[in-house]
Amino acid sequence: MAGNPTVFLLMVSGQIESAEFPEFDDIYCRYCWVYGQDWVITSGLEDGITQVTKKSQDDRKLFVWNFPLEVTFKSTNPHGWPQLVVSAYGQDAFGRDVVRGYSSVHIPITPGQHTRTLPMFVPESTSKLQKFVSWFLGRRPEYVDPKVVAQGEGREVTRVRSQGKVRVSFNVVTKDMKKLGYDTTPTDAGASTQPAATGIIPGAS
Amino acid sequence: MAEVHVIGQIVGASGFPEHSLFCKWGVHAGGAWKILSGTREGQTQVDNPQDEERANWSHPIDIHFSTKGLQGWPKLHFQVWHQDSYGRNELYGYGFCHVPTSPGMHNMECVTWRPSGSLREQISQYFIGGGPQLKNPDVVYTGADRYKLTTVTMGKVQLQLGIILRNFDKYGIEC
Repeated sequence: MAGNPTVFLLMVSGQIESAEFPEFDDIYCRYCWVYGQDWVITSGLEDGITQVTKKSQDDRKLFVWNFPLEVTFKSTNPHGWPQLVVSAYGQDAFGRDVVRGYSSVHIPITPGQHTRTLPMFVPESTSKLQKFVSWFLGRRPEYVDPKVVAQGEGREVTRVRSQGKVRVSFNVVTKDMKKLGYDTTPTDAGASTQPAATGIIPGAS
Repeated sequence: MAEVHVIGQIVGASGFPEHSLFCKWGVHAGGAWKILSGTREGQTQVDNPQDEERANWSHPIDIHFSTKGLQGWPKLHFQVWHQDSYGRNELYGYGFCHVPTSPGMHNMECVTWRPSGSLREQISQYFIGGGPQLKNPDVVYTGADRYKLTTVTMGKVQLQLGIILRNFDKYGIEC
């Protein structure tokens, strides 16, 4: 229809499936998208908060959220490809919200179904004194803005401890990337000549 | 001009003798290559994992190259460092890997090594830490002066990279 597209679309549907935090209980998750200047969300939510879940009472000790992610982005340039930033929170003995982990991951660039396991980490105090003060006051260090975990700059000053993981699944669809000259999958030509060269007929078995 | 996008993460590292690791990374490409946007080097957070064998960095990489030629296809190079409880840093490994040439998602492992010193240096390293470092870190991604080195195997750095190519087919390049 449209002759020469100038933008491409990236549609993502997926879910924040589950998490493992062996030592904790009652955890909920916040998510948001971080993306470059050329990117715009055309439909879907910018951020969200899951329900609070308790872990399963079996060996798996799994926290299941089954929380939907549905978003469509529009862009002219793949640079600044959107990232999902996830932060998990729990409650301490006094009922205060405590962060249990941050993590980030790029949306997979190739169309199709993908699963990602995000390692979760919390920032740590850098000095012994701060460590003591934060233990005494019961206030753990946390990021003012969770979006810093999606940035490459300024990470060298942070010390973290990783604990637990979160599983996220993505279904990715792109539109007009090929028309704009972008290749995100290996060319079929090479793949289809290979079986012939080895004498295997595709789909013979 | 053809363009390459490298979008992904330095996921973490495993197989190093101690935890509490961080990584300095950089990208090196030939003369025909230009970085249009994105950072060309950086340093990850220091991760001291609670119960796992691996350090997690989740350090994002998003680089946009344009190129006039294929020679000098970009390489990523790494230095893995160990930070002890006093905040002292010790070199744990050097490594490099080529950015994959085929578009799509790639999970990669980059093996690393560090220079091993003389027997005396090895003994002093065992007791007080530290160790030889490369005077000229270019050796990490060039082959020219490697023969002078004796090295020791260290752990692996895990990468997850998505490669998007643009206009390569227009010039008849098959990736």
